[in-house]
Amino acid sequence: MRLAYYPGCVAQESGKELDMATRWVANKLGIELVDFPNFSCCGSGFVDEANLVLNVALNARNLSFAEKAGLDLLTVCSTCQGMLSLANKKLELPAIRGRVDAALGQLGLAYHGKTKVKHLLQVLTESFPPERLRPLVVRPLTGLKVGAFYGCHLLRPADELGWENGEDPHSFEDLLTALGAEPVLYRGRVMCCGFPILFVKEGVANQIAGRQVEDAAAHGAHAMATPCPLCHISLDSFQNKAAKAVGHDLDMPIFHLPQLVGLALGATPDELGLPRHMVDTDSALRRIGTVAVPG
Amino acid sequence: MVESVAVPISVYRYDPGRDAAPRYVDYTLDMPRHTPVLTALLRIRSEVDSTLSLRYSCRSSICGSCAMVINSKSRLACQTQVGPELDLHGRIVVDPMRNQPVLRDLVVDQGPFWQDYERIVPHLVPDPAHPMPVGKPNPMTPEEVDRFYETPRCIACGACYSACPAKEADPTFPGPMALAKLYRFVVDPRDGARRERLLRIQPGGLWTCLRCHLCTSSCPKDVRPSERIRDLKELAIQEQGATEAGSRHAVAFKENLHDRGLLNEMRLVRQTDGVVGMLRQAPQGLRLARKKPELLKKPRRIEGQEQVQKLYELLEDEEGGA
Repeated sequence: MRLAYYPGCVAQESGKELDMATRWVANKLGIELVDFPNFSCCGSGFVDEANLVLNVALNARNLSFAEKAGLDLLTVCSTCQGMLSLANKKLELPAIRGRVDAALGQLGLAYHGKTKVKHLLQVLTESFPPERLRPLVVRPLTGLKVGAFYGCHLLRPADELGWENGEDPHSFEDLLTALGAEPVLYRGRVMCCGFPILFVKEGVANQIAGRQVEDAAAHGAHAMATPCPLCHISLDSFQNKAAKAVGHDLDMPIFHLPQLVGLALGATPDELGLPRHMVDTDSALRRIGTVAVPG
Repeated sequence: MVESVAVPISVYRYDPGRDAAPRYVDYTLDMPRHTPVLTALLRIRSEVDSTLSLRYSCRSSICGSCAMVINSKSRLACQTQVGPELDLHGRIVVDPMRNQPVLRDLVVDQGPFWQDYERIVPHLVPDPAHPMPVGKPNPMTPEEVDRFYETPRCIACGACYSACPAKEADPTFPGPMALAKLYRFVVDPRDGARRERLLRIQPGGLWTCLRCHLCTSSCPKDVRPSERIRDLKELAIQEQGATEAGSRHAVAFKENLHDRGLLNEMRLVRQTDGVVGMLRQAPQGLRLARKKPELLKKPRRIEGQEQVQKLYELLEDEEGGA
């Protein structure tokens, strides 16, 4: 399988461990990741608020490169997945299509709307069902209770994303089960992490993140896992502030989705960048018989 | 004869005057899979416990009275069939709507919902410069009507208001329904208060939206409030520029990408929050940078960055945006 790899900004910067884990897992599963050094940021749900057509054009440019190479595009971020899917959807509107086509034309580019955008969770669900994945598991995550945290833009609007149930998804839990972990069901798993207003109304954002962590903990989760590096920022990088906002300590390890896959497939914590996390992951790693080496 | 199945239903029961705390009461009824949850609740009321309180009227997804939380999702009880819920959850749990105080059982006080709606002045404000013709219709073009053809479908059921995590965390946020309605008046060519509406809604209003799309997901009429809120944000920036923390952040993010094509995380904080905000965030930034040193570096410049800048040139002017 060959895919145009769209890491997004955070996985190339402060969330580098997500990129490390994705590459490790792809290599292990025989997925060839084709890099495109010309991909730009997806707009992250902010650029379109300032100028929708510009944002659609930026992503049409990104999508055009994958289309020209004849590849589906792989994202590892719920928000990238949402924004690139939004571009495909908006390009169905003739008024937007006309302006974007004209602008791309001036760059000598064209996009015909053919690039399929797929998140890593979707690729794993579709191409590595449990019967194919289970035999590859060398370190089953047995005994680890994990709260999946999907990230809004991977799920909603469901008709735009076109693959999961917007409020009753199960693909992440199915994957966790295949890896040997015990998924924990809680309301927060499909809720917002607060990230979109982290720099706008920080206190409210911290409180929202804190509530989701509390909810997962109350349902017995030893750790949470997310397919979105922006959720990871809210839940891991800012967990100290989330704890202040909800008024008590929180100590919840937060994994990126491919990190848990990597652990089950035999990667070392170091190879997956786990020492880069702000909340120590050792309490969860001990349950599956390994610990992180300090980075 | 359609086959019946046993349907386990757990219903939230609470009478604030009499009960010390809310509780769930379990019922099991035989019914066909296509039975609406509303019908199931009415059967409980008529056959098992006549004290169960709920609001409903039309039973046809028109009146918007029977919004409640069914298996954690805010929606109309008359529009939700028991069969698919059993497939997903094995049972049905019914709660009252969120973000509104419970009066009894599944009936909530919708006062806050309607007060938030009142705040947006939900009627046309005549434009003195373009008085409405008296005794004659005031026609709009199909293109003008198209701009808000989704929002008049709203039946004010409150499902979006119940689903909204921004409302839950910040009671000053007006909620999705009021903002979707606001959009409808802002783009109505007959309205004379467009600018005032956009200026008035911003402080504490518009920019608290999280864009989680739970409102769009819960809406029984596909009004898509989250998308209308996004549209309002773009209109507000066009009208007023980047004056609020939220609009500053959106515009700063856009400008941030212009130079390198990828996000410069640290620079974004300065652009949104200014130097003072940067200093306020400094301890957290330094704490993070110890483990994530990339935060202190500029991102690489993408290949073909000049193409990105050209797109800005081509698509910024005609928007009239910042």
